[in-house]
Amino acid sequence: MTDTIVAATEQPHCVFDAKDFSSGAHPVWCPGCGDYGVLAALERALARQGRPPHEVVLVSGIGCSSRLPGYMSTYGFHGVHGRALPVATGLKLTRPDLEVIAVGGDGDGYSIGGNHFIHACRRNVDMLYLVMDNRVYGMTKGQPSPTTEADWDSDIAPGGIGLRPFNPLAVAIASGANYVARGFSGDPNGLADLIVDAIRWPGFAFIEVLSPCVTFRPEQREWKKMVRPSAISVEQDRAAATALVLADDGFSMGVLYRGDRASIAPALKPEITVADVEREFMVAV
Amino acid sequence: MTRASIAVVFAGSGGSGAMTAGAVFLRAAAHAGYYGMMTQLFGAQVRGGESASLVQVSIAPIETQPDCYDLFVALDWDKVEQFAAEIPLDDRSIILADPASGPVPPGIAKSKGRVVALAMNNPDENKLERALRGKRINMFAAGCVCALTGIAESDVKAAIDTIFDGKGADLIAANAAGAALGARAAPALPLDLRLEPPRKAARWLINGNQAVAFGALRGGVRFVGCYPITPATDLVEWLAPHLIKLGGRLVLGEDELASVNMTLGASYGGTPAMTVTSGPGFSLMIETLGLAVAAEIPFVLVDVMRAGPSTGIASKTEQSDINLAVYGGHGDAPRIVLAPVSVADCVNTGEYAVYVAESLQTPVIVLSDQALGQATTVIDPSAQRPAPLARRVNGVAPGKPFKRYATGGDPVTPMPLPGTPHLEWVAEGLTHNEAGLPASGAAMHVAQIDKRAKKFSQFDPGDHWGEVWGEGDVAIIAIGSTIGPAREAANRLAAGGQKVRVIALRVLSPLPLAALTRALDGVRRIIVVEQNHGAQLYHYLLGHKAIPLSAESVARPGPAPFRPSEIASHVA
Repeated sequence: MTDTIVAATEQPHCVFDAKDFSSGAHPVWCPGCGDYGVLAALERALARQGRPPHEVVLVSGIGCSSRLPGYMSTYGFHGVHGRALPVATGLKLTRPDLEVIAVGGDGDGYSIGGNHFIHACRRNVDMLYLVMDNRVYGMTKGQPSPTTEADWDSDIAPGGIGLRPFNPLAVAIASGANYVARGFSGDPNGLADLIVDAIRWPGFAFIEVLSPCVTFRPEQREWKKMVRPSAISVEQDRAAATALVLADDGFSMGVLYRGDRASIAPALKPEITVADVEREFMVAV
Repeated sequence: MTRASIAVVFAGSGGSGAMTAGAVFLRAAAHAGYYGMMTQLFGAQVRGGESASLVQVSIAPIETQPDCYDLFVALDWDKVEQFAAEIPLDDRSIILADPASGPVPPGIAKSKGRVVALAMNNPDENKLERALRGKRINMFAAGCVCALTGIAESDVKAAIDTIFDGKGADLIAANAAGAALGARAAPALPLDLRLEPPRKAARWLINGNQAVAFGALRGGVRFVGCYPITPATDLVEWLAPHLIKLGGRLVLGEDELASVNMTLGASYGGTPAMTVTSGPGFSLMIETLGLAVAAEIPFVLVDVMRAGPSTGIASKTEQSDINLAVYGGHGDAPRIVLAPVSVADCVNTGEYAVYVAESLQTPVIVLSDQALGQATTVIDPSAQRPAPLARRVNGVAPGKPFKRYATGGDPVTPMPLPGTPHLEWVAEGLTHNEAGLPASGAAMHVAQIDKRAKKFSQFDPGDHWGEVWGEGDVAIIAIGSTIGPAREAANRLAAGGQKVRVIALRVLSPLPLAALTRALDGVRRIIVVEQNHGAQLYHYLLGHKAIPLSAESVARPGPAPFRPSEIASHVA
């Protein structure tokens, strides 16, 4: 697959509307939560992608954003905290016919699930991982997450956590992700474009979505004024892409890196039967 | 005079080839038509430590380590003494050693076993030649022991051909020559160790870990998520190439959390899936076990128990994960726990575990232990297989919302595979409503717990619940690798006129109370034997009122295996 820079795009085989992907359930999210925009973008993207809801599985862990599978009409898996990526990996490897999308938040993905994030990038299984990053644990009412600014004051870390924020894009690129992008929940159309592009790109695609928490981080309302399209998008060169995301202020939007790593190979067709295995134990007399 | 069985130890320093000597003796004996069992002892070193293989060969099936070894073959004496406590010898034991290796160390000599000299090293060779040739001392020893026991050279050659298959004709020829030299040295020894002629039949040579893995393959497992951990790693190492050739997939996770969650993901997609671990990894998997219970996702978890707590002794056995298997986790999380009753039974229990998991949409734990898992045995092929059971994926009319977790009817509700139109559902670990959406009301919480509990109250394992041997009014209750020595103890007591029945539980959870009560009918004395300090099985049975307060507990930690004499002395 090393010669495949542009993904082979599958043409839609039926026409869907964004609302076909909505379950109609009412989200638990606060009014004004960025995650509404992400939900809308996912519904639009999947309608545009053209695969029916039953061929899509949304996998998530725990947190506000991890509630998303219940709000869509697709198949879903709402598991334990931090483990969305392994679940999605096991599913996609055994059911490559399905569109598998893992979703979650910054605490779920970068803290408790951080190890899986690294190794999912390494494995490069053909799926999308979408992280709604609001730089806070919202469901537990406002603790600093791995992406929280060092000086953000909170009850649990008065005066700030004092730690340098985690850079998920740099880690993803260094670990082998094949597609790395940043989107903004306040631009659902632009985010939907990114999602469609990421789904069609072979291998492990990672989209970091800035998704404000208006309840515990009201200052994030200002993000809409800070985001701008990235001036650069890097193809293949991981060193250049890493330099780009390390130098960036975190508000450059769009595709930042696309690689050409071959995704993990599909399982083989059976070559033997269980009876053949059984014969190996036999000792002749 | 011939004998029905013999127990032999090959011991030596790292590189002496003690393991290979044992493997050749066992396989040659299998070719000759004998039953057998081999276990292994290692020093703590990853490479180059001292080691010993413990091999029993018999005209009858072997399911226990012996009270005492008949023959101790020292390939050398370097640090071998450290195994003295785990290799019982007495004054009837024979110690076969090369005088050139030095005197018998005190730890071995104190057994007062009879020392018989056998020159394994050629004194005419210089030191360099001896070093180069040194690796074939083990073959010399194996060949000699085979000849002493009456195993034909053609059977030894067949064993060497298989064991060194793919290593080149030169190596095979050299090893065969070493074994032949050993055979030639046997007649001069003042020993009669000949075995009775066996009832010849084609048999399986298999260890417990392979047997569980093979059973799982038979049951349809085609995905395994795993992380390396002793003593379960050799299970997945055997499994990996076979699973791949069968069109399945084995993924080495970044940790046990990944492994078990990958397993769940594959199972959600419709592929029967399994994870394999030992105590420390099992502890890490417990949260996801609860998820599988709540979301009703089937999978098989194999725990090859080792000595704990914490990292414990990685390479040695104990039955101390019973509480974790039966109770581990938060909330009301019922699960099936199965424990194979022998190495041979590992095949059927592995297969049955897959069927139960799939048909009840629930996790099934297979509680093996190192002593079963790493015992290589010669057994009769597994004939009677469990009846297949499948996952219920169909049987609902499309409709919105689809009630994946419908309550009130059959507690096993259809679980459509992703990709099925109009039946989309979300596997949900939060307390959920019938449609699978999160719900925090009291009524639905209770209704869903009741639904899942009902799956277990309706579960009928039939004859799989356990096994009963003997008829006495004294009963020993045991699980796993403790059953073999318990049965041997009962046989000896019966020979002395005391009838003892042995009851083995294959289904630990949910406890098959009715079947166990029937099995205990007419019993006046109950002894629960288990290899852990806290008497976990005993208290579990007491808690379910499966045994009376007068029941006795024989509970001690591993890693030393129970020996028949130890159990017999408790009963007598």
